[in-house]
Amino acid sequence: MAQGIADKVTDNFTIIRIDHLSKVFASKTKTVTAVNDVSFEVMKGEIFGLLGSNGAGKSTLIRILTTLLSPTSGQAFVNNYDITTDQEKIRSIIGVCPQNYTSDVELTAYDNLEFYGKLQNVPDSILPDRIMELLKMAGLEDRAYMPVGTFSGGMKRKLEIVRAFIHRPLILFLDEPTIGLDPEARREVWQQIMMLNKEHTTIILTTHYMDEAEKLCGRIAFVDRGKLLALDSMENLRQLIPAGDLIEIGVAHMDPLAEEAIRKIDLVNAVSVVEHTVTISATNGSRVITSIIVVFEQYALPIISISIRSPSLEDIFIYLTGKGIDSGNGTCNEADRRKLP
Amino acid sequence: MMPVVLKSAIAIFKRDIKKFLSNPFIILMALLSPIMFLVIFGNAMGGTLTHIPVGVVQEVPPYNDTPLFTSAAYQLNHIDQTDYNNKLLDVTIYPDEATAKRDLANGKLSAVIVFPSSVSNDNAVRVYVDSSDSVTPSLVEGAITQVLQSLGAKNPIIVDKIYGDITYLQFFGVGIIMMAIFTSTSFGGGIALIKDRENGIHEGYLVTPIKRSSIVMGIIASGTVRAFIAGFTIFWVDLLITGIILQSFQDFLLVVLVILIACVGVTSLVVSFASRFASQQEYQAIIGFLNLILFFTSGAFYPVIGMPGWLRWITVINPEYYGVHALRSIMLKNQGFNVIGIDLIALLIFSTAMIILGIVTYRRTLE
Repeated sequence: MAQGIADKVTDNFTIIRIDHLSKVFASKTKTVTAVNDVSFEVMKGEIFGLLGSNGAGKSTLIRILTTLLSPTSGQAFVNNYDITTDQEKIRSIIGVCPQNYTSDVELTAYDNLEFYGKLQNVPDSILPDRIMELLKMAGLEDRAYMPVGTFSGGMKRKLEIVRAFIHRPLILFLDEPTIGLDPEARREVWQQIMMLNKEHTTIILTTHYMDEAEKLCGRIAFVDRGKLLALDSMENLRQLIPAGDLIEIGVAHMDPLAEEAIRKIDLVNAVSVVEHTVTISATNGSRVITSIIVVFEQYALPIISISIRSPSLEDIFIYLTGKGIDSGNGTCNEADRRKLP
Repeated sequence: MMPVVLKSAIAIFKRDIKKFLSNPFIILMALLSPIMFLVIFGNAMGGTLTHIPVGVVQEVPPYNDTPLFTSAAYQLNHIDQTDYNNKLLDVTIYPDEATAKRDLANGKLSAVIVFPSSVSNDNAVRVYVDSSDSVTPSLVEGAITQVLQSLGAKNPIIVDKIYGDITYLQFFGVGIIMMAIFTSTSFGGGIALIKDRENGIHEGYLVTPIKRSSIVMGIIASGTVRAFIAGFTIFWVDLLITGIILQSFQDFLLVVLVILIACVGVTSLVVSFASRFASQQEYQAIIGFLNLILFFTSGAFYPVIGMPGWLRWITVINPEYYGVHALRSIMLKNQGFNVIGIDLIALLIFSTAMIILGIVTYRRTLE
């Protein structure tokens, strides 16, 4: 077993290997399993997305991989270094941008970068140039000597991302890099991330924004309640849910018999009802829709709205977890789940 | 229907009570502080001075002891303070005046009492007393008067305060330098660590290869500088207000050295405490408490010799005690390394222990 892992670890294409990793937080009143038996690998040079709702365990996983927390059980290797024994080596090859702002607001942007440059052992001879290069990258060169406390959220975030990159790490961890940013700032951060990835840096980012994962990530891991639900490229993830279009019909109430009747229609692959929305997956949406409307009329169910669209990442997420990504807090119970068949 | 004003007031009240009850540590410290105030302040200030080391010697020639000398020495050694275990003076008989005076200068004795020989002309009892605190001289003089009266001796008493008339202000002022060091370092060095932790800033640098020792030593170094600036400033203020005059430039350099080493000692103590705490509130509760204990047992207010035994044990591990003692020895008594060396060694041992403790207890992870 141990030998097997070692063989895998030395694989030239893998930079992170996680093996049955679990993390349990125990307090006097309750125990929370934040990460539950998760295993996966991250390839060199990719942008890897950890996608899940708040409290799904993404940040805990990142904190374990960045040596801030130790796992309760399981193993993980970052560039062949064991996270429980070689923490120091790992710290020197990673760059981390935590979810919360961690720049010193009383210091200037330049001072913050200089502080981290020294902690990361960047040679003094190249540090000033490197700092200016990073400030330029973040579009903050005119703010270099202003206290970080005067920065907007987007500026702070961009500063933190380049700060994590000051020593040109092999791996960059970005925990919710665009949380709380306006659309323009988000686009700028995305550009920055893609630019850093071009420098052969492996990037692991967590997010609960579908569009962000879809736009940036080569491969996406779905995490929910500490568990890994699926991991694949966007292309392959699309294959997970039945092919075709999604028809969403808004109704005041739904009849189980009508649901059964719709299911029997030719080309309809699946039907699910969540509150006042009936979601139908069909191979050719526009052709099937008339037959569906007939069923609604038969059962005298008034239709409030109809829409037809192609499935998105959010649909995949709903398919996998049975809930919307922004609705859950990651701790709802099993009964809340309604899956497509 | 309850008025809105009242409803909101009750909501605020409930919120605060909930927060208050949710932190038993703060409640405990809030209760413990006044109790400690009573116990420590009461004992440190109002304590009866006991076991004052005194040397007695008889003038020569002739070389045989007079009856006055023998009985006075015996009686001085047996003046009770409340009970037998707490006698006022610990009397040592010296063969010659020079040795006794040397021990007085080195701080081993608080007073030297010289009895006249039988061939003496003036019959005077000469008393040389350490006047660096304002309590000891009068106690020693009172004891001698009492003993001579009971023996029916009419000898005059000549008191020589070897460090001149030192006012309480001068005595106490030296202690204030140590207090300035403690307060500036508790707001400086220690709190920086906790602020980082409270604001989550530490999460940023804990993922870099920085070592625990670098974090703790860096914080102690910056705290020491801040504490030194405070201590050095208050030293000058103290000189101006109390009118103490340093005897030589060497004394000045010694003061600077003592302040510096005391700063390292106090800062490392404070930082070693801070390395465990996650919230400023808890830290401030414990630091307030620590400030109280250390300052009151430092001997800044009242001679340490007046404290009960259990309290004196605290002084042994109290860096402020060594600081106050060393500064007082230099500033008020013009003493040198031979007296303060032990204080400096104690401070350095203490600092090393605290730095190690701080590094070992610093939490390198978020757990």
